[in-house]
Amino acid sequence: MTAPPAHPAASPADPAAAPAFPAARLLDVSGLHYRYPGAPADALAGLDLQAAEGEFVAVVGANGSGKSTLARLLGGLQKPTAARRALACGHDLLTEEGRLVARRDVGVLFQNPENQLVAECVEEDVAFGLENLSWPAPEIRRRVDEMLSRFGLVSLRRREPHLLSGGQKQRTALAGVLAIPRRALVLDEPTAMLDPAGRREVLAAVDGLRAEGLAIVFITQEMDEVVGADRVIALERGTEVYAGPPQGLFDDVQLVRRLRLGLPASGELALALAARGRRLASLPLTLDDLLDELGGPR
Amino acid sequence: MKASIAQYYPGDSAVHRFDPRAKFVAVSALALALFVRDSFASLAVYAAAAALAYGLSRVPLRWFWRAFRPLLWLVGLTFVAQLVFAPGEAFFSVWFFHLSWRGLELAAFLSLRLVVLVLIGSVLTLTTAPIALTDGLAWLGRPLRRLRVPTDELALMVTIALRFIPTLLVELETIMRAQRARGADFRSGGLRRRVRALVPVLIPLFVLSFRRADELALAMEARCYRPGIARTRLHPLRASWLDAVLLGATAAVIAVALLV
Amino acid sequence: MKPRGDAERQLAGPERSSAGMGLACAGVSFSYAEGGERLPALRDVSFALEAGGSLALVGASGAGKTTLLQVIRGLDEADGGAVLLDGASSGDSRYEALRREVGLVFQIPELQLFAATAFDDAAFGPRQLAWPEGAVAAAVDAALEVVGLPPAAFGGRHPYSLSGGEQRRLALAGVLAMRPRLLLLDEPFVSLDPGTRRDLVAILQRLKGDGVTLVLATHDVDLAWALCDEVLLLAEGRVAAVGAWDFGAAGAPLLAANRLREPFLVELWRRLGRDPATAPRDFAAAAEALA
Repeated sequence: MTAPPAHPAASPADPAAAPAFPAARLLDVSGLHYRYPGAPADALAGLDLQAAEGEFVAVVGANGSGKSTLARLLGGLQKPTAARRALACGHDLLTEEGRLVARRDVGVLFQNPENQLVAECVEEDVAFGLENLSWPAPEIRRRVDEMLSRFGLVSLRRREPHLLSGGQKQRTALAGVLAIPRRALVLDEPTAMLDPAGRREVLAAVDGLRAEGLAIVFITQEMDEVVGADRVIALERGTEVYAGPPQGLFDDVQLVRRLRLGLPASGELALALAARGRRLASLPLTLDDLLDELGGPR
Repeated sequence: MKASIAQYYPGDSAVHRFDPRAKFVAVSALALALFVRDSFASLAVYAAAAALAYGLSRVPLRWFWRAFRPLLWLVGLTFVAQLVFAPGEAFFSVWFFHLSWRGLELAAFLSLRLVVLVLIGSVLTLTTAPIALTDGLAWLGRPLRRLRVPTDELALMVTIALRFIPTLLVELETIMRAQRARGADFRSGGLRRRVRALVPVLIPLFVLSFRRADELALAMEARCYRPGIARTRLHPLRASWLDAVLLGATAAVIAVALLV
Repeated sequence: MKPRGDAERQLAGPERSSAGMGLACAGVSFSYAEGGERLPALRDVSFALEAGGSLALVGASGAGKTTLLQVIRGLDEADGGAVLLDGASSGDSRYEALRREVGLVFQIPELQLFAATAFDDAAFGPRQLAWPEGAVAAAVDAALEVVGLPPAAFGGRHPYSLSGGEQRRLALAGVLAMRPRLLLLDEPFVSLDPGTRRDLVAILQRLKGDGVTLVLATHDVDLAWALCDEVLLLAEGRVAAVGAWDFGAAGAPLLAANRLREPFLVELWRRLGRDPATAPRDFAAAAEALA
């Protein structure tokens, strides 16, 4: 595991006098290309993505837009076809050694909760990653207990995976991914297969991570999961069609419709109103937003 | 479902706490030794040892019965087979069953021996968590690595397979129901028709399993798994003096049974 | 015109006698065996849904929605009470034939795809019903059209080469190809990309328009509102509420007690000072009213 880059603010010199440095850029990718063997076109064509410590970057796009490919590349699980620069926590994703080490610093949570759990019970599964890194048993125990407590899994520690609900499985998978101390986390549509209750559980868990300083890349097709992001990148058939603050995407109603993204009810109504000539200033995400836009009584 | 296909009954007894490697060695030794001598006295020694182990394990009788029940037919078959091929003077014959004292004695002995064998084996499976047992077997199989047998990887494969069996059973049931809702019939018809009827069930299960294998492998790599690496364990195997006692006791039981 | 007998109908292929099937449950109870015990899943479930009606089946996970749908379809027999299809109960000679006109779409139905071509997979049901090949082709082509997978383009495709959304629609076509007059859907929108979700809503609205009786089990109260005129709230296997949507003094506390919020459009109407009972079902109608 490489040491974190030296942070000037960590020096004992007078903190007031130290200049403000930008947070470390943990994911730094430019001109990223990936083409599946034998495919006629790139799955990802020239993507740029940066995520700094503590940043929450959302990635949206329809099926086939390259989102899952991006998740695997950022996690060092697949070799890019080409890139100008592909650094994950300082490791070069274009080299095999770089990818192998990147897998320690960058965690990836996948869509299907069932197909991420390997062990016979929750706590053994959470321990899996640490066992792979040859941590000594007492350290594994301590860290697993911490993760179980963190994600509300203590009462489920000896539960077998097939007896867990979707939300519980996904929280277990997340605990297992984060048991290895990470600096960046990529989540590939983590709530897509969950019911509303499970979705709430997982989003709450992810919310809690933002304060930790992890760089987070959150891939989704649902607009309401994008709201709190620092930045949004929209993909269409492998190319970037938008990069900027969430509000900018909400204001581009045509783009949202073209990308076939999931909208909360107020957004759907806004689209229907736009189709009837009543254009709202921007896409409302909640009922209150919508009422504000309509100028009606509360 | 408390115990899945592996019949493990979680508990905290002395028997539960023995190292799985010691337990496996003890059980294997007893199982082999069981076949050395053909004497009721010898069998009684083994039966007593097994009953003692069973009592110490504090596993409810119901669980033992559940482990034993599938093999009841084998015991019955053994018993009946002896009556057919019985040696010695028949005092009663009907059809090709010859009842002789010698035959009955033999039938009883062989059946009882089978029961004791199952009892000994069940103590192992009921008191050892599958993951601990696979770890233990992987350790015992270490020498095979020199012959390029990937024992650790095989152990992990077994663990993963066991973990997915309950899931696959549910998925199998679901797919069967979905096809039944489309008019599939798995009950009627001769053997060939019934086998063909399973195609709409087996193909989806296979595809599902292959896709699962792909996704699981990716998730494992994302958690830094690589074949061939040395992995530590959350619950490492730790042999203690208790296990030495177990092995010693086993040796003593075998000695007594051989000499009785 | 001479009414066709059951055997004749089987041989000649399907003909719709009336568009939708009436459904009723009278005191249906069901429990299943688990580890030596019998666990009750449905307790005394009673309701009636007229032909062409649409019923949303809502309730928490484990409330018994899946079990109820499977009992209605006949995959499990009720322990007590009766399931009445077009007024006929299991003793009636027409019952088996009526059961074959009940379609059930499972959760994540693309799990059932197995054939070499999309056409063959959708044709599985009709072929199991021993329809003549001409009738099979007609039914499958029609079903593929309805779900937006034109047979010319998609019929020969391998099911696994289709996208997730296309697979979902193909699985639905497999059920529609049997020309069900009563269509039961178990959480059809779960694990579905937003684009296909919208397509599916449109497909179901069209089927409803064609007069097919719909029963839709769903977590999504907004989709339930959009597609169904009536609602059945199931809690721990029992009917907590059933009938037309009611957001007034009687209905609102029931919804709240079962942790179901009001549909968005209903709440919007309420907040705009309009009568919630007049709230529109879909966004197009709402936009009309507001624009």
